[in-house]
Amino acid sequence: MKIGVCAKITPDADARIKVAADGQSIVLDGVKFGISDYDEYAIEEAIRTKEKHGGEIVSFTVGDASADKQLRSGALALGVDRSVLVTENPGDPLGIAKLLAAAIQKEGGFDVVFTGKSTIDQQNFQIGTMVAELLGWAHVTQVTALEFEGNQFKATRNMDAGIRQVVAGTLPAVISCEDGLNTVRYAKLPDIMKAKKKPLDSVGAGAIGGDAGAARSSVGNLAPPPARPAGRMIEGDAATAAKELVRLLRDEAKVL
Amino acid sequence: MNYEKLFNPTDEHQALREMVADFTRAEVEPQAAEFDAKGVLNVDLFRKLGELGLLGITIPEEGGGAGMDAVAAVIAHHELSKSDPGFCLAYLAHSMLFVNNFYWASNDEQRGRYLEKTISGEWIGGMGMTEPGAGTDVIGMTTTAVKDGDSYVLNGTKTYITNGCEGYVFLVYAKTGDRITAFIVDRDCPGFSTSHHIDKLGMRGSTMSELIFEDCRIPASNLLGKEGGGLTHMMRNLEIERLTLAAMSVGIADRCVEIMVRHGQERHTFGQPINQYGQIQRYIADGYAMTEAAKCLVYNVARDVGPDVHNRIGSDAAKLFAAPVGKMVADYAMQVMGGSGYCREYPVERLWRDAKLLEIGGGTLEAHQKNLTKDLARLHRI
Ligand SMILES: Cc1cc2nc3c(=O)[nH]c(=O)nc-3n(C[C@H](O)[C@H](O)[C@H](O)COP(=O)(O)OP(=O)(O)OC[C@H]3O[C@@H](n4cnc5c(N)ncnc54)[C@H](O)[C@@H]3O)c2cc1C
Repeated sequence: MKIGVCAKITPDADARIKVAADGQSIVLDGVKFGISDYDEYAIEEAIRTKEKHGGEIVSFTVGDASADKQLRSGALALGVDRSVLVTENPGDPLGIAKLLAAAIQKEGGFDVVFTGKSTIDQQNFQIGTMVAELLGWAHVTQVTALEFEGNQFKATRNMDAGIRQVVAGTLPAVISCEDGLNTVRYAKLPDIMKAKKKPLDSVGAGAIGGDAGAARSSVGNLAPPPARPAGRMIEGDAATAAKELVRLLRDEAKVL
Repeated sequence: MNYEKLFNPTDEHQALREMVADFTRAEVEPQAAEFDAKGVLNVDLFRKLGELGLLGITIPEEGGGAGMDAVAAVIAHHELSKSDPGFCLAYLAHSMLFVNNFYWASNDEQRGRYLEKTISGEWIGGMGMTEPGAGTDVIGMTTTAVKDGDSYVLNGTKTYITNGCEGYVFLVYAKTGDRITAFIVDRDCPGFSTSHHIDKLGMRGSTMSELIFEDCRIPASNLLGKEGGGLTHMMRNLEIERLTLAAMSVGIADRCVEIMVRHGQERHTFGQPINQYGQIQRYIADGYAMTEAAKCLVYNVARDVGPDVHNRIGSDAAKLFAAPVGKMVADYAMQVMGGSGYCREYPVERLWRDAKLLEIGGGTLEAHQKNLTKDLARLHRI
């Protein structure tokens, strides 16, 4: 199978994020970057698919030129065969999706493209869906189990109330990966060393025949969450305090 | 030099550090207390180090290893020891004392027999130098090897051998005549056995035992290098052994600093966090400064150590300095934690017990002082 995977470089999940003085961006100084968590599931699923069905894996990233470092350790060292890094900075998610779709089309011949369900920085939940739409392919969101047979796929997704939905379709397809689909492996040390020799193409939009177009939406401003109010101490012996706690939870917090 | 470049000279070093750190947090930390209490090696977890390619970290690619350097070996030991120095000691005895030492001393035929299965972790390895009557005084060893047709016959006992209980194959030093020679002995050699597990204060995530040779017959093809070449192999490997032991101390110290910094903010007495008290500040700040100094020295020396580049003075100095730092910072952390530091519920008392070994194993502090003084006098002869 020819397998594609879209992966974004984002601040690490446990990085401390602060809003910058301009109110429109975050402070990047001293922040550690890595492949977005859900995209790690996408990479893992791509590798598992290759292990089962054979083929080749190509990853696609729209991002800064410095992303090559994370792509080597987070994608190529794990088992992605080649990486394409489109060094553009589109103004909105649609622009990113257009570039990814153009790069996927330029490469051509894919049976399936994996994406994360969203990225941990923006949490827009848009890219997978827009890439599928631009390519005109089948698409399933938030997939937690997946099988391929011939040119058919069967994807399981979690609905509300724990109901599981099974979606069947014909390839090519874009599959957006959810937590629980797989367990991400560690990079093996010899593969970390081999990754430095794997092909990584840094290209501009022109080279892939892509155009992000004018942004149709833009970020107004970013506001940090309000500071948490101080805790409240409840006085009195255990029995009195417990009664008071229940009353506060019911009448003030309205959680009971 | 850029600080970060000292610790992670290349992107591959950084990727290695992140991989080992992730693995340590997710898989090593949760089992550490249990295996410390039981005093046994977690063999299943050890095999995972093999799957990750960590057991052949310094072996060139053509030998089936990762082809990395001494800095990489230091990184792996540093990160593993933040959670479980005992487990890391088993890793060191296998990958440094056996695999690395064996590779640089062996011929192709020997590599063909032992390398693949020790790099994968299917066979656990160790190294036998110390004897009941000869530790610091290695040259005084009394284990003998006598050539008999196409075999050697070994007699004697090695002691305090890490991985003795689980090991399948050992690099053993013995005397041929009055010279020291290195051999490979495996469990299938008749006349070879190991003692019971020798119980110990710390490093309990690894085991040690005696290696006993009673007319132990090994094929002559298990001679490593030449008769009388044992000291050369021993010396060649000592530097990376000391550096990785020193890196373990740095790992312990790093973890203890992290614990102190956190506890100093969380724990309140007399209405304020204890890190407001000068006495506590001294533990935290001195502990941090000592840890950073040890870290810089160890990584700096590691850049100059490899199969063909030597820095004996540096590696002696690194271990001599770093070993007491691990022990002292663990002690500071216990003091900052108060009673909780002394309790099994928290990792500090375990790290405190583990840290002491680094002042003894792989050369005592006094042995490093003796070597350094001799080497420095030779370097600056008057
Ligand atoms: C947990 C653990 C794991 C070990 N693993 C291994 C292993 O895998 N393989 C292996 O071969 N060995 C191993 N050892 C052995 C270790 O290397 C020795 O214990 C160490 O080298 C010290 O030797 P010794 O115990 O005989 O002490 P001794 O040499 O008897 O030393 C006793 C004391 O005298 C001091 N001393 C000795 N000579 C001098 C001198 N000339 N000048 C000043 N002071 C001196 C020492 O510094 C020490 O303080 C291990 C030990 C431990 C505790």
